[in-house]
Amino acid sequence: MTVFKTFLKILNKNKFIIILYTLFLIFFGGFNMQTSEHNTNFVASKPDIMIVNYDEEKGITKDLIKYIEENSNVVDLKNNEDAINDALFYRDVNYVVYIPKNYNKDFMDGKNPEIEIKSTGDYQSSFAEMLLSRYIKVANIYQKSINSEEELISKINETLSKKSEVEITSKLDTNILSKATFYYNFANYSIMACLIYVICLILASFKDIKIQKRTIISSTNYKTLNRKILLSNSLFSIILWMIYVVLSFILVGDIMFSIHGIFYLINSFVFTICATTIALFIGNIVSNKNTISGIVNVIALGSSFLCGAFVPMEWLPDGVIKIAHILPSYYYISNNEVLKTLELINLNTIKPILLNIIIVLSFSIMFIILTNIVSKRKQKIG
Amino acid sequence: MKNVIEVKNLIKEYKEIKAVDNLSFEVHEGEILGLLGPNGSGKTTTINCLLSLLNYSSGSIKIFGKEMKPDSYDIKSKIGVVFQEVAVFDELTVYENVDYFCGLYIDNKETRKKYIEDAINLVGLESFKNFYPKKLSGGLLRRLNIACGIAHKPKLIFLDEPTVAVDPQSRNNILDGIKKLRDNGATIVYTTHYMEEVEILCDRVIILDKGKILATGTTDELKELAKIEEKISIEINDLDINYIDKIKELKNVDYVKYSSNILVVTYKKGKNNLVEIMEYLKKNNIKYNKIYSERPTLNDVFLELTGKELRD
Repeated sequence: MTVFKTFLKILNKNKFIIILYTLFLIFFGGFNMQTSEHNTNFVASKPDIMIVNYDEEKGITKDLIKYIEENSNVVDLKNNEDAINDALFYRDVNYVVYIPKNYNKDFMDGKNPEIEIKSTGDYQSSFAEMLLSRYIKVANIYQKSINSEEELISKINETLSKKSEVEITSKLDTNILSKATFYYNFANYSIMACLIYVICLILASFKDIKIQKRTIISSTNYKTLNRKILLSNSLFSIILWMIYVVLSFILVGDIMFSIHGIFYLINSFVFTICATTIALFIGNIVSNKNTISGIVNVIALGSSFLCGAFVPMEWLPDGVIKIAHILPSYYYISNNEVLKTLELINLNTIKPILLNIIIVLSFSIMFIILTNIVSKRKQKIG
Repeated sequence: MKNVIEVKNLIKEYKEIKAVDNLSFEVHEGEILGLLGPNGSGKTTTINCLLSLLNYSSGSIKIFGKEMKPDSYDIKSKIGVVFQEVAVFDELTVYENVDYFCGLYIDNKETRKKYIEDAINLVGLESFKNFYPKKLSGGLLRRLNIACGIAHKPKLIFLDEPTVAVDPQSRNNILDGIKKLRDNGATIVYTTHYMEEVEILCDRVIILDKGKILATGTTDELKELAKIEEKISIEINDLDINYIDKIKELKNVDYVKYSSNILVVTYKKGKNNLVEIMEYLKKNNIKYNKIYSERPTLNDVFLELTGKELRD
């Protein structure tokens, strides 16, 4: 109990570090989540199309104009090339359709007359082109077998009026999952930095050579004391993880109660174990409290940047991703990214997640072994 | 007399260097044993071996009649150590520090509370209980260091130069505390550079050099080892160097040294040495400011045995 009480007192002295990294997580993780929300909003729109008709408005020509009018916003501009170019430049119109003279007659004669267009080249103009192509393709198909103008127009309209029913079976809310991924990706930094900083500071106090000497000569078994310190550190890690989990429930919301949420929790818990072992390892090799801040920056900040905790992984160069493979953060963040788009959760789909978890656990085991080796070497004074 | 510590033929080697060379000694129950020696003489190595902080090459160490091993927790529970370096937590207050180190020995909360109060009172830190170490002066820190080492009321205490770099007030306080510990029945092994502390505190002294025991005994017994009988120091401004050789020729004079305006004359034996030298000075019209006579000190004994000053 004495050890645990002392642990808590030293922890209390360093509480500002925990508060600082938690605030980082709330503000920066929260900011990332807001950004992700804006990216997935959709607004229905129609392209602005101008029709310049040199033909008589009858037959196919009339029907084509009618079709365009029904599916777009027809813009009425002065038929002047400079005015049209200006309108395109200023995005007053997205697409200009030039229907040539005798278009109706030539089309019925099977000459497949060309329609000239002008476009802004943006996504609205692409949509306008898709409308025009659709009409012409359908008309061309029927024109080969139907000679009657009336019958042809009737068939074209019948085909174009057919609508497919599309049912979205996915109930996956990628927007909310993206929020969770952003939060837990950023948590990579907060968990790692906070654990390394605090555990190293606590170990630097307990493992100070002078205090260690006094402890070794006491009637308390040194191994028992070490186990108590380890247990206290582990308890601190779990409490920190729980605080961050509670925060995720507040910031991300209901999705955390789903099966996806459970996987985010498992993944972050395994990573917390790994970060604790890294902190214990560093705490055993570093005794100078002044160097700890630098080490935190190199390890926590470095691995967070390299592994995509702050920016999406797909934005990172291949070389950086290759280097990131040697860091446990990479496998933790990869799991968060997989969870973001994981539609079905079954044994097959979670295999890559489980594999990454096993890799993170392997890192933990490696750091435990290294810590034991270092600790045994340092145990003997003189 | 019951022996608390029995060391026989203790040898500690670092590669080819013998840090401790065939040491054998005992520490009796209730005594304060002074361990004297210049830097590198093997004092701290000996203590580290006694405490099982270091493996030793050969020999045997018995404490409270049992062989001392790293896992001798029953023996360790009766030992308190105050190292030369201050070993406390910066993050804990004076009270919390003593509580932690006492807690390594004493589980019972109530007993511990009483012991902590006793230790804090013993070193005179009652007014500083809630102070953090960084707010304490060097002397107060040393007192805290002692309180942490003795709070569990050990029967055997090792004090490794506990008064280094402390103010006179703190030193007196520490020395009084050590006497109280002895009066309460503790056996103490005390290492220091300060001869006057040894003379005030120690019942017996062991003089070490190069890992070997040069002499053992009470302070009076050790002083008898000195070849000199009397040392006279005279403050004289600008003494003509020719007089030094003439003073050497005076009766019973063993050694004459003049530096920093102080003339030191040592005598192997003889009575009325002070009167004789004063008469000589008067006869030769040599003016002096202060003059005083001393019996040989432990430092003189140390100088004679090791050929160097204790603080070298």
